[in-house]
Amino acid sequence: MRLLREWFFVIPTLVVCVAVASAHHAFSPVYDDKRVITVAGVVTQFKFMNPHAMMFMDVTDDSGKVVNWVVEFAGRLNLSGVGWTAESIKAGERITVIGNPTHTGSQRMFFKKIVRADGTELLPAAPQRLTAVEEERRQRALQRNQQK
Amino acid sequence: MAKPSLNRAVRQLFLLVSILLTSITSATEAQSPRPNLEGMWSDAPKTILGVFCQGWCTDAGINRLNALLDDPANDSRPFAELQTEADTYQREKYLRPRLTDAALKTYPLDPADDPGFLRCEPWGLARQIFSLHQLEIRQRGNDRIEMRYGEWDALRTVYLDRRARPANQAPSPLGYSVGRWDGDTLVIETSGLRANITSWRGDHSDQLRLVERYTRAKDGATLQLTATMEDPWSLREPLVVKKIWRWAPEEKITTYENCERPTEFKRVKP
Repeated sequence: MRLLREWFFVIPTLVVCVAVASAHHAFSPVYDDKRVITVAGVVTQFKFMNPHAMMFMDVTDDSGKVVNWVVEFAGRLNLSGVGWTAESIKAGERITVIGNPTHTGSQRMFFKKIVRADGTELLPAAPQRLTAVEEERRQRALQRNQQK
Repeated sequence: MAKPSLNRAVRQLFLLVSILLTSITSATEAQSPRPNLEGMWSDAPKTILGVFCQGWCTDAGINRLNALLDDPANDSRPFAELQTEADTYQREKYLRPRLTDAALKTYPLDPADDPGFLRCEPWGLARQIFSLHQLEIRQRGNDRIEMRYGEWDALRTVYLDRRARPANQAPSPLGYSVGRWDGDTLVIETSGLRANITSWRGDHSDQLRLVERYTRAKDGATLQLTATMEDPWSLREPLVVKKIWRWAPEEKITTYENCERPTEFKRVKP
């Protein structure tokens, strides 16, 4: 199986994404937020729906056997807020998915990032929200320091 | 002899005017559309307060977050870390002390025991009103408002004509809501709720009474909810919880097409 890499670390900035997903539809009983895996394959179907969008992809392992992986996303309501549509991912597209594996190690993962064949990336909403917040925070600190 | 007749006539006239005034007042309250809350609202603005209160928040948590942000020693710490610290503070210092011994037995509920996760059961009102994504508010006729939520595509009716809850109405997940205007604030009182869980994964009983106060900011860009919850079974004293939405006329609510029941999961709590 083309399981490219597996890291065992916690990224502090992921706390918000995980908290949101967990409060949403119980992320933590299914997925391991402390591990990140990368899987490459060909998309067979992308279902842009609520409560969670789902993608199915064929992954060829080292012996040449094709295994079907399931990738779970935030819901359509969440993804559409940052410009995703039903056409954001097309069947037949070759992609690399980075995400959290299940506790059981099944062929399923929760989306964190997709890298297309041309190198462009698809990202969830949370990092985009945090960029705006960090800017507000910088301005706030600047004002505070100027008042001293 | 004419005096009693005159008094009677005055009394009758006074009575008539009183009835007339009461009717006009009631009709005005019931029919006033107060359209300033109507329309589509959605996830909170991308601001510090918006992100912190996109689900639920308390004044204790907001004050804690502000204190953390105002301390230069925290400038190099990621915002998510400060947000988590403020959230933990509000759970431990504000929420937990208000829970009864009965509620503390299961608080916080293991996510694997969440009926919404396990059995795809739509949420009860104490969780629904703090759900992420869209909230669409529409006036329907003169006597009611409909509130539709993106999460679960849930729909509730709020009666504005002070009608009493039908005596034979069984408790339900979203309960029975009556609303009134207090100035520019829409006040909704809900009873008849079935025992369920809250957004902070705590149990509540069917004795829960919820009072929601919705106010639109002066610039029209945000909507704030302040909810007061009283439940003698789960709360030692009233709990006040807040939430913020952003004005989002461009957004649409899309239906729930599929809720997948989990086939593999583990308990998170030891």
